[in-house]
Amino acid sequence: MTDITLKIREIATRLLQNGQVDIFMGWEKGQEEYTTRPFFARRVEDVDKLIFNEYSIHNLSNDLLKYRDGQEKIGIVVKGCDSRGIVRLLQDGQIKRERLYIIGVACPGMKDPLQAVKDNSGFFPAATSTELAKKCGDCIEPNPVIYDELIGDKQTPRVGEERFKQVKDIENMSDDQRYQFFEDVFSRCIRCYACRQVCVACNCRTCIFDEMKPQWVGRETSISDNFMYHLVRASHMAGRCIECGECERVCPVNIPLMLINQKLIKDVNKFFGPYEAGMVYIEGAKPPLSSYQENDPDNFL
Amino acid sequence: MSEHKCNCENPLVPGIVEVIDIKDETPDVKSFFVRSIGGGVPFDVMPGQLGMVSLLPVGEGMYSVSWQEEQEYLHFAIKRVGLMTNELHRIEVGHQLGVRGPYGNGFPVEECKGKDMLFIAGGIGLAPLRSFIKYCFKHRQDYGKIQIIYGSRSYADLCFKDELFEKWPQEKDTEVYTTIDNPEEGWDGHVGFVPAYLEEINPAATGKIAVVCGPPVMIKFVLQSLEKMGYTDEQVISTLEMRMKCGIGKCGRCNVGSEYICLDGPVFTLAQLKQLPPEW
Amino acid sequence: MQILSKSKIKDALNQLSQNAELFIPLARGEESGFYPWNSYQEGSDRLMLDALNVLLPPKSVVFPQTERMYSFTGNGTAVEIKETFESPQPRIIFGLRGCDAAAIACFDDVFLTMGFVDSFYQARRDNTTIVAHACYQPGDNCFCEAMGINPTEPVNADVIIRDAGDAYIWESKTDKGEKLSAALGSLLENKEAKAPGLQPFKQKANYEGVAEKLKDMFEDPMWEELASTCQTCGICTYVCPSCYCFDIQVKSWGDEGYRFRCYDSCMYSEYTLMAGGHNPRSHEQERFRNRFLHKLQFFSERYGKPLCTGCGRCIVACPVGINIVQIINQVKEADTSVRA
Repeated sequence: MTDITLKIREIATRLLQNGQVDIFMGWEKGQEEYTTRPFFARRVEDVDKLIFNEYSIHNLSNDLLKYRDGQEKIGIVVKGCDSRGIVRLLQDGQIKRERLYIIGVACPGMKDPLQAVKDNSGFFPAATSTELAKKCGDCIEPNPVIYDELIGDKQTPRVGEERFKQVKDIENMSDDQRYQFFEDVFSRCIRCYACRQVCVACNCRTCIFDEMKPQWVGRETSISDNFMYHLVRASHMAGRCIECGECERVCPVNIPLMLINQKLIKDVNKFFGPYEAGMVYIEGAKPPLSSYQENDPDNFL
Repeated sequence: MSEHKCNCENPLVPGIVEVIDIKDETPDVKSFFVRSIGGGVPFDVMPGQLGMVSLLPVGEGMYSVSWQEEQEYLHFAIKRVGLMTNELHRIEVGHQLGVRGPYGNGFPVEECKGKDMLFIAGGIGLAPLRSFIKYCFKHRQDYGKIQIIYGSRSYADLCFKDELFEKWPQEKDTEVYTTIDNPEEGWDGHVGFVPAYLEEINPAATGKIAVVCGPPVMIKFVLQSLEKMGYTDEQVISTLEMRMKCGIGKCGRCNVGSEYICLDGPVFTLAQLKQLPPEW
Repeated sequence: MQILSKSKIKDALNQLSQNAELFIPLARGEESGFYPWNSYQEGSDRLMLDALNVLLPPKSVVFPQTERMYSFTGNGTAVEIKETFESPQPRIIFGLRGCDAAAIACFDDVFLTMGFVDSFYQARRDNTTIVAHACYQPGDNCFCEAMGINPTEPVNADVIIRDAGDAYIWESKTDKGEKLSAALGSLLENKEAKAPGLQPFKQKANYEGVAEKLKDMFEDPMWEELASTCQTCGICTYVCPSCYCFDIQVKSWGDEGYRFRCYDSCMYSEYTLMAGGHNPRSHEQERFRNRFLHKLQFFSERYGKPLCTGCGRCIVACPVGINIVQIINQVKEADTSVRA
């Protein structure tokens, strides 16, 4: 992957030098080999810090939200899922295409630096790092869907034969079993809101969970408030989640958030589909739940 | 640090008070007069100190006590800006609220004795200063000349009009200057913003203490003007506001640098403010 | 010298749990934190006493995520405070490391000193006994020593246990500790044992003089760069054993309700948002800077010690790899004479 690193540095140097971008979003090395982390280069001298390795898992498109009100021109390196995040932002009207210079990298699958750090932290009894990060095992599109320049050979999706297997397993449970499963899962939630913060689709200026007039969901970590938080957030994701899996990756108590998101992706596909969020940017296009068609299913009415 | 004198042992649990009177000051400011059930006040305050007012099912908010009338009532002047205050503005006389306090350091009423006082306020900022102004009038012989410069968006938005236009100008050696932001029919007083009006009036700095309160941007401009007019950092006092929840310097959010507005403040001299990060 | 043989640890925990709720470091499924011993499931839970530490800190024992404060009834003209929920039940935190014990010492400073005493915290803290676990082998991300903490002598402890191979040396330090020793009875043996020596730290943090230096670095351009990748997700504040910012909110229905407090994070955008709309820290960079200044400068100005105890959890949990040790060292090395 060193050739990708060199190519990124070459592009970044060119863009920063001729003023085509003010900020270049990529990754840099951390203290350890596996602690690769996001890095924003603003000067040509910073470019040598940029790298791309198998730990470049972070979805940088989420950081574009910090600059949504500004005028800066931004260069950004994105993989398959990340690029879908950019389409999400464009569709949600959060940033203008003209401000972005997108370098797409066909993604060979990533490892999770958070998992590696946790394994080496001494805080867990056994190492749980897998060859590939969990989210990469569900990947349906490793190739960037939007870009100004493309690096890397075309990759094949890594999702197995049965894309929604885990979802189907839960669907096959009885109502009581299902409730118990989710009660166990949500009782762990410490309401740190990290899942919301790292999510590119969560881009409301005032989040519903911060709203006080009225307060829709309380701040207590009671099981009912926790259920409400996750189910309401998931509903807001329906038809919009671009499956980058960052929410589940960063959760400090390992809540299987993608399970819920995948259930909704499966259902949206079934009722309003076929539809995959963020695959192609069509100006003016809206996600299925943001628009009304006459023939929308209504057998639940 | 103040002793917690509220009538309960847990500083986060309020005592219950009764609203004995409500007065409309402006379209969005009401004065609430509260008294302990059965009489008396829930706690004694010094000018500039704060009380946490609780509309129990809705929320709490920290307000300066605009005046304590002996053991008869505490007066809070509260502007309707958000969730809790919206509900608060709908209550009637006889309603019961929670109140806990007193919080904060209050104005340096002792240190200012013998000085001439210049009070500069904007909008609802007059509410905290009013406790100090009335204290000066109550102990008139302890203070020198008193000048009050007060401005608001419009005539309707001027608080405490009866005191502003009738009572205070009658006090000994007292000047009251009022201004509104834009010209209005029926108003033949000064038109303009408070910082500019202050520079126009140009009260002399010698032997004077300037006390400032208002929206943060107004305070910042007034502080600049006072510096231009020759006031030293020790001569200028302000009372700040930040979002507060616990009121007792524990929840962390009202900090300006290492100082908590609810505990070490809200009153700071300009000299103290300059030691702190400008994040308020 | 008294020792507790490791083969008897479960008996000891059972014994101590008889008269108190005992919290122990456990790995449970994919989580790791401090959980009640009486919820331990043989087979699925793993005791983490001999591990370096656990991800979720023990602060929740004395300062829980959600804590009801008081209930009330009435509307309008007849309001009454019904019940105040102080929680003085006896609790034991068993096996916390020096970094976590020092963090609880910071909590004691915050909640029990400076003008007011937080009664909810006091009720819990006065009835909590701390059995601290001396640490001799720093982990990859540990830097407690740099923050003024001696991992082999945890502060604030009622008992210190030291890993001597197949037993823990049991060192009672206070009356509360003596009560535990008495409760353990014959499970404690009188025997000599040797504690190991302190291994070197891998993280090289240099905090000396940093608090002073930070006083003049509020406007330093380094904050913008450091904060640029921060997601303000708040995970750092939740896994930190010494972060204590809280919110107070209310839950009400009809004429009844209760006020509660819950963890809050200075990283959230509405942390300092005032009702009128003014927000002194509306930008991520401002909140980021405030958090680190609070940890490394403001707290020591106020209480004489930093609010960071070097446990390294934030370094592990941060999704974008922000590292407080790097920040400390960057400040230490910054040439502030140039950046006036």
